[in-house]
Amino acid sequence: MKLDYSLVSRRTFLNTLFGGWLIAVASGGIYAFLRFIFPTVGKEPDFLVLNKADFLDIPTNTVKAFAWGGKPGFFLKKDDGTMLALKGVCTHMECNISYRPDVKKFYCACHKGWFDDNGRNVEGPPPKPLESFDIVITGQKLVIAKKGAKFDLPKA
Amino acid sequence: MISRRLEGWIGERYDIEGLRRILRAKYVPSHRFEASYFTGGLTLFLLVIQFLTGMGLALYYIPHSEYAHKSIVDIMTKLNMGWFFRSLHHWGAQLTIASLFIHFFANLLLKAYRKPRELLWVTGFIMIAVLVFFGLSGYFLIWDQRAFTAVRVATGGAGSLPLIGGPIKIFLRGGIDVTQETLTRFYAFHVSVLPMISLIIIGLHVLLVQVHGMSVPISQKDREGRPQPFFPNVFYKDLIVWLLGIGVLVTLAVIFPAAIGMKADPMAPAPENIKPEWYFLFLFQTLKLFPGRISVFNGETIAITVISLAVLFVFLVPFLDKRSSAGKPSPVFTYIAVSYLVYFVAMTVIGFLD
Repeated sequence: MKLDYSLVSRRTFLNTLFGGWLIAVASGGIYAFLRFIFPTVGKEPDFLVLNKADFLDIPTNTVKAFAWGGKPGFFLKKDDGTMLALKGVCTHMECNISYRPDVKKFYCACHKGWFDDNGRNVEGPPPKPLESFDIVITGQKLVIAKKGAKFDLPKA
Repeated sequence: MISRRLEGWIGERYDIEGLRRILRAKYVPSHRFEASYFTGGLTLFLLVIQFLTGMGLALYYIPHSEYAHKSIVDIMTKLNMGWFFRSLHHWGAQLTIASLFIHFFANLLLKAYRKPRELLWVTGFIMIAVLVFFGLSGYFLIWDQRAFTAVRVATGGAGSLPLIGGPIKIFLRGGIDVTQETLTRFYAFHVSVLPMISLIIIGLHVLLVQVHGMSVPISQKDREGRPQPFFPNVFYKDLIVWLLGIGVLVTLAVIFPAAIGMKADPMAPAPENIKPEWYFLFLFQTLKLFPGRISVFNGETIAITVISLAVLFVFLVPFLDKRSSAGKPSPVFTYIAVSYLVYFVAMTVIGFLD
């Protein structure tokens, strides 16, 4: 029914009113719910402080693992004594890799990917080299840091 | 006598005779491809077994990264018949998915998706996604090395989708890594979200089957035999198929009880010769076909995109296959269906032997 002096019929008015609150509540609710179910994301560490003694004295051509966030990292001492730190996660499908001292390469068992002892992807599906970290030795501490990350050590 | 009275009692409150009339009026076409009609019923029956065994397992399983693995070992070794019900659930999952794939390919080849059954296709397609995700999430709950790596690869693979990949990966994992957060999420998906979605979608699917009746393949339109009454003729045949299904299931569960590997360690290298569940093998093999880099693009992203487009095509088949919707033979889509089937089987076999 539409009154002569009214712009809309009662039905249109009610439909707009009820439709309006349904849409308003639903969109607000859905937005809030989406915000809730998407997790607040942590991040990988920028750097890691380890004990120098635990790592520098390992035999050549071996690795020692450290925890980089929730993933493995590898500290590698090559035959010539040079050292490097790499993230132990394959760049293809994120499987954890292992070091093969016999061939001096890192190996990923998931899809048979190989990385040389510089972390370069040399065989199989990995699209890019392993992520490598900066190594800084200060005092008794060994700092492993994301490339280019700035860090401040607490003064001992 | 007592059943008569009970029937009378209910009859005064609900029109049972009406239900009987519907059942008596339900007829099923009869032709040389009628065997395909039993694949859906078998899938449904196996799903019911999954629901029942799953409810049992949920009474004992502990969804925490410290205890999950041990709770499964306890189910297998300490509980009365625990090994049996977990094995039923394990093999039931394999058979349900196998049965669903057969149902899917049969209807793809027979073009049961054509007008007016597009919505049956859409709901069935959603059920494939739901069941595969059921498989992945359930498999992860055992929290062993293989499951852990598989879920990292699968969620990472989803992360390779352009644009939407990142948020999907974070959403599935509950963070940047596969952790306890992921276990909590997958548990929630497996025992709450997916069962609810399944009930709704299967309800719609079965309702639509009742509305439209069974689809008769185009080639059989003029060669149909006499339609058979659903009750009891076709229903008894359904029961035979179900009996065979449960026979195979129990045999597998008893002879090959479900295994469990070493407890997952996020720091340990991926186990050697790792392979995903068989229904992921064709994806796994497809990913292997793509090199790491294709000119300036990431090979993985291209692979995942190609796979997604191929899946999207299947989803849209009822809307693309205009000829069969008009009731005419549609050989192009037969060839496409056959090539999908051949590709799926071949890649699964290659992946299995590799």
